[in-house]
Amino acid sequence: MLKKGYILLFTMLVYTTWPAFAQVKPNAFTISDDQMILYIDLHLKRAEIDSLLHIADIRQVNIDNLIKGNFNDLQKNGWTVGRKGDILMLLKPLAELANNPQLRPLMITAEMTKHDRNPGYPNDDVKYGVNNFIRQNVHEVPSGATRFFLPANLKAKRVLLSGNFNSWSTSKGIMLKTDSGWIYDIKLDAGEYLYKFVVDGRWINDAGNLMKEDDGIRDYNSVYFKYNYVFKLKAYPNAARVMLAGSFNSWNANQIVMMQSGGVWVRPMYLHEGHHTYRFLVDGKWITDPGNPNTINDGSGNISSSVLNIGEPATFKLSGFANAKNVFVAGNFNKWRPDELRLFKSGNNWVLPYALPAGNYAYKFIVDGRWMTDPANPNYCDENGETNSFLAVKPNHTFVLKDYGNAHNIRLSGTFNDWNEPGWSMAHTGDTWSISINLKPGKTLYKFIVDGNWIIDPSNKLWEQNQFSTGNSVLWLER
Amino acid sequence: MLRIYCLFFLLFTALCSGAVGKNHIHPIPGNISFPGARFIDPDPTGDFNTLVIPIKRVSNLIVIEAKVDTMEGNFILDTGAPYLVLNQTYFRDLPHHNDQDAGGINGEAGAFQTDIRNFNIAELHFDRLQADVTDLSGIENSRNIKVLGLLGTKLFAKFAITVDLFQNQLYIHKLDKNGEIPAAEQPYHDPILKVPFYLADDAILFKASVNDNTMWFAFDTGAETNLIDYRQAKKLMPTLQIINRSKLTGIGGSSFEVIYAHFDKLEVGGRAFINNKVIITSLEKKWVKRLGIMLTGC
Repeated sequence: MLKKGYILLFTMLVYTTWPAFAQVKPNAFTISDDQMILYIDLHLKRAEIDSLLHIADIRQVNIDNLIKGNFNDLQKNGWTVGRKGDILMLLKPLAELANNPQLRPLMITAEMTKHDRNPGYPNDDVKYGVNNFIRQNVHEVPSGATRFFLPANLKAKRVLLSGNFNSWSTSKGIMLKTDSGWIYDIKLDAGEYLYKFVVDGRWINDAGNLMKEDDGIRDYNSVYFKYNYVFKLKAYPNAARVMLAGSFNSWNANQIVMMQSGGVWVRPMYLHEGHHTYRFLVDGKWITDPGNPNTINDGSGNISSSVLNIGEPATFKLSGFANAKNVFVAGNFNKWRPDELRLFKSGNNWVLPYALPAGNYAYKFIVDGRWMTDPANPNYCDENGETNSFLAVKPNHTFVLKDYGNAHNIRLSGTFNDWNEPGWSMAHTGDTWSISINLKPGKTLYKFIVDGNWIIDPSNKLWEQNQFSTGNSVLWLER
Repeated sequence: MLRIYCLFFLLFTALCSGAVGKNHIHPIPGNISFPGARFIDPDPTGDFNTLVIPIKRVSNLIVIEAKVDTMEGNFILDTGAPYLVLNQTYFRDLPHHNDQDAGGINGEAGAFQTDIRNFNIAELHFDRLQADVTDLSGIENSRNIKVLGLLGTKLFAKFAITVDLFQNQLYIHKLDKNGEIPAAEQPYHDPILKVPFYLADDAILFKASVNDNTMWFAFDTGAETNLIDYRQAKKLMPTLQIINRSKLTGIGGSSFEVIYAHFDKLEVGGRAFINNKVIITSLEKKWVKRLGIMLTGC
């Protein structure tokens, strides 16, 4: 009698808990008895099974195979598979967490979250900037330097200027005391800068500056744009309102106001290097810049815009080919369109000045339909199996390798080109190999490839270990 | 009787060794070494009552600048590290103090111990400091800042430090003869939360509870979130909600696994915190295994 009672109870228990398995989604991934267990209900949709696998970080497993009962992929990954009807149980011992233990919690959490945003450092592709001060504490001085001024605080012992231009140093940037405040002069290139002051160890914002940027820790950094261009409209002195709009501000006609200065409308600003188009809006009417002969037809209707190239243009030059009819240049900067950038004849050469923002580019000439690399350029780069000519606009670092006079070819590879293989080829003069490239500020890792062998830079004592235990050379560029 | 014999034996041997005269050949003693010996680093000095140092924040890490001899740069305040740790990339050439002793390093490839001279955090000056040199490139690459090293608890053993994460300032306080911060120098009063802690093996330990399970915690400013060793998490497992499993890349490119979990109640110093995340992993510190500790970040 007792036995029956128990059996009944048991079956009742099983039947009441069994349905729980089918709705197992909320706790599909659990840990019990020192095992990680992932429950997969095979009745679920593909996408749901996929997301369950994702939760347990199970990759490269064919879901079809799974449904058919082929568990080879899983077993290869170290999972044991159990099955209760249409519920799969994937098990792995928890002790797996002890494989390759990391010494410091610091190293574990540092790997966890990688942020794309880099608060404290301006976005590379800010196209333009206009300052906005209540009280202008940052000025350009005749020497060409930018002067930062912190008013008052005369009792302070030590005042520093800290910003992305000195890697947010809290030891350099020591400001000079004057009778009304503190000053610091620094030579800056045109661009966007973020800064703060440090007064006796305490962070202080520039109260006179209305341009702010979130610093990522519940406060803000002050923003300063060093200008490099002045838009001028030498007409319509009696107009009520003149606005400027262009490709650099997404043609927003309500954003940039022109100011009157001695009968001329002006707008000084920072404009990112490269190619821009713009127009003025004079009392509601759009006009191109009468002082600028370069216009372009937008292709969208009958409107034309004025064209502006900022920055020293790179000049593409091809010598010879006197009998060619059409010479073009194409590269990754114009999506390799072969009939867009035409070179014109100038003496014995074909030339085209073209404004490109600082960076590293690949290009080729197209002479009467035939693609060719630049015969005058010893630096090459490979992309998708094609060998192209290499161009660095505003190169700021030269990599040099000496004493390999007998090597056939030496190439450079690193974080700046995603560890491109075979790498960018270096030019050879005597026993010195070199290439100049444009490096982004911050950390760069690189290696030389000498006749196919990867080596670290023998002249650079900074290097760090990599996953192949062969080391990577380290280079830091001040921001 | 036996005792007397022993005594004589001892006296005899003592006399024998004492009796070695000038004309006899002295037995040459072997090398005498004291492998565990350490110089005790001299106390740091500085002309200040309270030092105010600006903090830079890089995600949840606390970064302050310091100077090793002539090299100046960023250091991470890491209360999980016992003393100073230097980044191999920049300090590879320092003299190796003791290659064989992996006590503080647990066999990290290429790691070694050294002594450095002339370490300064603003006006705080260390004449000589013991330091570990190891691979910190992982932090540089994931946080995109140049890291010269980590500042561990021993550096501040003679002081009280206040970390103000609202104003982003670090205060280093000289203590009065009672071991307290002098009243005039106290930057803040009326704490919301006060928790007594123990300093063991240079780790800051305190008691708190997770879902009503009391446990020992280590306060580690280098950990950006809570962590627990999977062996210690066993008792807590039924109360944790597993979020997912993830493979991360460690030093030298090899991978390791962690499990993210969520738990409801963290109670510290009488205050409750809800909505807590924790990483279940394998922690190598010796006291973790002994006491069952969760490390908690800022």
